[in-house]
Amino acid sequence: MSLLGSNPARSDADAKLRGEAVFGADLARPGMLWASISRSPVAAGRIRSIDSGPALKVDGVLDVLTAADVPDGRTGVIVNDIPFLAADYVAYEGEPVAIVVADNRSAADAGAQAVDIDIEPTEPVSTPEQALAPGVRLVHPDWNRFAVTGGADIGRDGNVVAEVVHDPGDLDEAFAAADVVVEGTYRTPRQYQAHLEPKMALATYESGRYVIEVSHQYPFRLRDRVAQMLGVAPSAVRVVGHHIGGGFGAKLDVSLEAFAALLARRYRRPVRMQHAALEERLVAPCRANALVSIRSAVSGDGTILATDVEIVSDSGAYANNGPALSAIPMFVFGSIYRVGTARIRTRNVYTNTAPTGAYRGVNGPWLVFANERHMDAIADALGRDRREFRLASLARDGDLMRNGQPLEEISILREAFDRVDELAPWRDIVSRNQRQRDAAAPSSPPAESDADVLRGAGQAAAIWLTNPMPGHATVKLNEDGTATVITSATENGSGAVATGLRQIAAETLGLAADAVTITMPDTDATGYDAGSQGSRTTHVVGRAIADASAEVRSQVLDRASQMLEAAPEDLTIDDGVVAVAGVPAANLTLGAVAQAATWSDGPITAGASYVTPTPPHDPVCATGMLIKGWPTPTYHLHQAEVSVDVVTGRVTVDRYVVCQEVGRAIHPDAIAGQIQGGVAQGLGFALSERVDLDHGRYVQRTFKAHGLPLAEDVPKVEMIVMEHADPAGPYGAKGAAEPPIVPVAAAVANAVSDAIGVPFDTLPITPEAVLEALEAEPNGEAVARAAREPVLNRDGEQERETTGRAS
Amino acid sequence: MPGAAGEQSVSIRLIVNERRHQLDVGAGETLLSMLRERLSLLGPKEACCEGECGACTVLMDGAPVASCILAAGSTNGRTVLTVEGLAGTGELTALQQAFVSHAAVQCGYCTPGVLMVLTALLEDTPDPSEADVRRALAGTICRCTGYQQIVEAALDAAQLMIRAATS
Repeated sequence: MSLLGSNPARSDADAKLRGEAVFGADLARPGMLWASISRSPVAAGRIRSIDSGPALKVDGVLDVLTAADVPDGRTGVIVNDIPFLAADYVAYEGEPVAIVVADNRSAADAGAQAVDIDIEPTEPVSTPEQALAPGVRLVHPDWNRFAVTGGADIGRDGNVVAEVVHDPGDLDEAFAAADVVVEGTYRTPRQYQAHLEPKMALATYESGRYVIEVSHQYPFRLRDRVAQMLGVAPSAVRVVGHHIGGGFGAKLDVSLEAFAALLARRYRRPVRMQHAALEERLVAPCRANALVSIRSAVSGDGTILATDVEIVSDSGAYANNGPALSAIPMFVFGSIYRVGTARIRTRNVYTNTAPTGAYRGVNGPWLVFANERHMDAIADALGRDRREFRLASLARDGDLMRNGQPLEEISILREAFDRVDELAPWRDIVSRNQRQRDAAAPSSPPAESDADVLRGAGQAAAIWLTNPMPGHATVKLNEDGTATVITSATENGSGAVATGLRQIAAETLGLAADAVTITMPDTDATGYDAGSQGSRTTHVVGRAIADASAEVRSQVLDRASQMLEAAPEDLTIDDGVVAVAGVPAANLTLGAVAQAATWSDGPITAGASYVTPTPPHDPVCATGMLIKGWPTPTYHLHQAEVSVDVVTGRVTVDRYVVCQEVGRAIHPDAIAGQIQGGVAQGLGFALSERVDLDHGRYVQRTFKAHGLPLAEDVPKVEMIVMEHADPAGPYGAKGAAEPPIVPVAAAVANAVSDAIGVPFDTLPITPEAVLEALEAEPNGEAVARAAREPVLNRDGEQERETTGRAS
Repeated sequence: MPGAAGEQSVSIRLIVNERRHQLDVGAGETLLSMLRERLSLLGPKEACCEGECGACTVLMDGAPVASCILAAGSTNGRTVLTVEGLAGTGELTALQQAFVSHAAVQCGYCTPGVLMVLTALLEDTPDPSEADVRRALAGTICRCTGYQQIVEAALDAAQLMIRAATS
């Protein structure tokens, strides 16, 4: 029986359930020192002086390091703009200014609080709009002296970190010919990853090399970034990974590790660091806040003739990966619906705020939000049914994305519309909601008991990539017939490593899933791996494991064919036993084969690498593109049904349907967990999560204030998982974990807008925002007023108290 | 945090995971740091340190408490159960087994706290409704799962425990 599509237990479940799993934040070493960071208390300003004296008076404090004590120069992922410690000026609240090292944790924390940082504050550049205003102060006056990786031209200019421009040049004609021009501006806030385990580092220095123990999504990038910051060769750094208590993109870059490494060498002692809860929030690489403006020229028959898209995203004080992410609009607009000739300009800009970064789905949730809100706006302007208009506008196989890449299987999305409709028919939902709205209208007598609740429905579609970056695995057959997979792929919670990769190896080798173990990450011991990002692990590392396992299998069959005196093609391997087909008595355990091989030809082992090739594309489609193609796409349709309480403003998601294409479902329960969890994070982004900035400083400083969804807020998601095997994937598998978050805010915002007839083009849609919109809108106010009238039931009692309000 | 020089300490006796302890704890020391640093019980997790996320939850005399904001000194005479004490060295409890079969563990950092909250719920309410389970989880943040598989595991475990008790 195939292991694929079955649900074996995760390899880490027992340890995690017993509290035995050691996470990064659980690490300790005898004799270790602790260090803490003194951070800028202001968003922008010039450093006048730093007085270490008060910190040095704290019992247990050994030293205070400032910019003069650490490597100078700036480093980064794409733009080398980040100083080791701020020297002359600070560019965001929370920027590291000094490091305090002590012989225990509380002394380090107290010391960090005691460092007296004297800063002459300057008015921060707080918003992207401000950053682009003429004559505005530059966040980094020396921006043109910062080096860019590989010398790429990414369109930098003052506060503009990167600019990607796709301009086919003939939009005016289309707009002149349009029957309708539809414009919209879509504004989305930051989103905080809110992984529970704080960022940490444990560094030691041994025999001239740095050893970093950490819970990190991408140990090889961490190795390279620590080396870059310390000015040493990457081979002088070894990164060892431990269990990760959530990351969602926040643990893809360096944070505390280089500080700890520097101190470990200086003191020849292990050095431990860990973010306190507030630090975690001040410096988290949130999803960027963004502003998307779309103008579309549409003909009366509903053909979109041309689309003009203008995007500004907030990089915060440093570049991080914003320049690369600025290419993503090229894979959203025109990749799902036919949008005619499109001009797309994306600018990623510096502000005096904490640097933004990678959060699950990166720019996808806000780009799809803008794209799908706009589709509803066009459908409304034309008086068309929103689903029918989507289907009429849907791209077709062979259409080209804006980068010139052919959409080979976009018809899968058409299938998704059919599949969702079978489960939750759009027409029935729309007419039910309309009847209910008519009943609640001010002109009608109140007829239904839930007149203060208006219902709406919304859809949103996406195609999303599977991250193509390189991976490697070595598979060895152990002498007892079990197998070990050696890789630095990281288990970030999804189960991709803890079960998916094991199933792929076991299936190929003819073993039970629990006969395969996988190593923890170690950059000294494995080939390069690009980490847990963009759903790449099952697809890319899985492919490397499938290839290596096939080679191991072939070695097993060669050896066993000699031992059993049968041709290799006549042999089967099942549950650890090699047998001659049709002759059940002629068999050997894999252990016996492994033993025999080890002591004759040598141990059975094989390695394989994989990186997804970049799809065919037009290399001059745009300027500033660092991501050229959209490899291994998957297809997604989400449908939300909501109730909006016009008295409280509260939005309740009554029903949520996801149709997702995954290539091949290796572990269906794990995929279900990713869909449910991704939708939960998306609902937070849509409805409740707040990351507000006031003059460059974060307003929300606790979990509670961030409004993260709780168990009572998240409905059970209904799921349709479609399989269209990818020939390059292991047993056809593509990525599955990242994209369930991508269409959620769009589907929910469309549903809320539908419910109350007021467009919600700004997130989050909080109760306050709903009430404000209702009061600003004459019709909405009428609806709200009517709904506030007491509704009497047959017995003359007020019905409101018993109104059903699912939660 | 323990060990700050000059801090007043208080002597306490308590039972943790069925073992008796006598400890001198600092006035500012939390139950969480006492468990993790003095007793090497790393199951209760350090996360928000503000009593908001639930990853540090343990049971005190059977009731869930946020050990990150509870003074260690206040546990004198109490009985504390951490995630390590659920199965001890034996088989996983019915609840833990249901977490395995329902794929309710992802990153696992909230799991020790979630298990304690649900263990207390099933003790008090052996046949909970789905709403009971969701309400019990109100003080617990899980960023990975979207809660569904956790809720289903708890409901399934309740039925398993009822069947085991009546068979």
